[in-house]
Amino acid sequence: MMNPDAVEENQEEGNILVWLTGLAFLAAMVAIFIYVPTEQTEGVVQRVMYFHVPSAWLSFFAFFIVFICSILFLWKKEREWDIYAHASAEIGVIFCSLVLITGPIWARPIWGAWWVWDARLTSTLILWIIYVAYLMLRTQSDAGSMRARYAAVLGIVGFLNIPFIHFSVLWWRTFHPPPKVITNEGIGKGMDPTMLATLGISLCAFTLLYFLLMGVRVRQEKLKDEIDRLKREKLYSA
Amino acid sequence: MNLFLNQITAIVWKDFVTELKTRELFSAMFIFALLVILIFIFSVNLSVVKASEVGPGILWVAFLFSGTIGLNRSFMLEQENGCLMGLMLVPADRTVIYFGKLISNFIFLSIMELFILPLFMIFFNIDILEHLLPLLFVIFLGTLGFCALGTLLSSLASNLKSRDIMLPILLYPLLVPIVIAVVRMTGQILNGEPLSGMMNWIGLTASFDIIYIGVSIMTIDHILEE
Amino acid sequence: MDNQWFFLAANVVVWGGIIYYVYTIRQRNRALEKDLELLKETLSKEG
Repeated sequence: MMNPDAVEENQEEGNILVWLTGLAFLAAMVAIFIYVPTEQTEGVVQRVMYFHVPSAWLSFFAFFIVFICSILFLWKKEREWDIYAHASAEIGVIFCSLVLITGPIWARPIWGAWWVWDARLTSTLILWIIYVAYLMLRTQSDAGSMRARYAAVLGIVGFLNIPFIHFSVLWWRTFHPPPKVITNEGIGKGMDPTMLATLGISLCAFTLLYFLLMGVRVRQEKLKDEIDRLKREKLYSA
Repeated sequence: MNLFLNQITAIVWKDFVTELKTRELFSAMFIFALLVILIFIFSVNLSVVKASEVGPGILWVAFLFSGTIGLNRSFMLEQENGCLMGLMLVPADRTVIYFGKLISNFIFLSIMELFILPLFMIFFNIDILEHLLPLLFVIFLGTLGFCALGTLLSSLASNLKSRDIMLPILLYPLLVPIVIAVVRMTGQILNGEPLSGMMNWIGLTASFDIIYIGVSIMTIDHILEE
Repeated sequence: MDNQWFFLAANVVVWGGIIYYVYTIRQRNRALEKDLELLKETLSKEG
């Protein structure tokens, strides 16, 4: 199944990725803490953006990967895709949680409230619940083809829900007095080039982190499969 | 095509006969919906809040909660007595099972809603007879979307370890868009606004219905596969 | 602008979250390794 050469090769690739991610994060830290100037009106807390936005990007990207891998699984029925979808959903949920926690921390000093039922916040919260339910579904059935199929269906149904959530929440808010919308979150517009650069570096670092974590988790799941297989073999031979 | 329809009717008819014999499900759904409305009336001070403002939300929460009971039953009953195995052994397409279940769920829920509506009118002192047709249209769209997604997920949840807990956990977040849409629309209709003023919501709900029925047709083979 | 504490809190949350996740991965890896050792032992005993 897993030949030793391939494992070693994987390990080496993994090592390069570790170094790259480490370097990217070092660069991002230097940029966030030293290089980028402090925002005039918001002050230091504005630097939360360089964690908040990349985390959001990472989690949406991860959920998109879940969607793609779910389709591929139902099509090809290969365990490989199921592993990718699982790992990606897990990472997506972790970073979505980080978005949901750093959001209020940033909002409190700026808007004066921990939480506003703004369109983007609400959609992120619902998305988080959907994918937590996805992970719960995975613990609710024994490993095997059934779990993979069910999870894949939910992965597809959940992702297709995103446009509906987006529009419904957007129109829902417009019937109320408009909240103080995030003004400097729109990428590019009116943003200082140094800020844009910092955000770019941070985005790169988080994306690399995603691939690193994915690699580790996927390797782990494969190892687990292998051990389970050996155990079963042992059981039947005895 | 004719065979397809016949098979669907057979499944719907089977569900009806079972229900007519026991009357378990319908009474449970109706009483539960009534209880939900009562609890909300106790928790909201109707002398302060306008009834037409909280009414639509309460109505739809009652529909959704009692609808979930119906969905929970629809596949679990089959599961308990090994009937699902029998259904799957029938030389028919899996989509037949899906549509049969979808239609019977939809009819049960609609009948329940027709019983709840007059009570809603009395309890909240809202005159719904004036706007009955648009209201029924909105209820149709909302219930169809709820049943389309709910039938798919309940077929999935019936095989899980803690199935009755997992169905709402899986279903409710996915229903958020449609709930927002129908509650908005119901509120506007009760305020006397015409349907033409809420085309965006109607479009959203209708496309939700269509997309999820389509997705269910495509994926139901993978769920009911043993 | 007296809001550097919020920034600090956000930092703690982000790094804490990432480190915690890596930690859980490590724990799972350890459990797997233990399993593997056990398996090897029983196999060698029989073989």
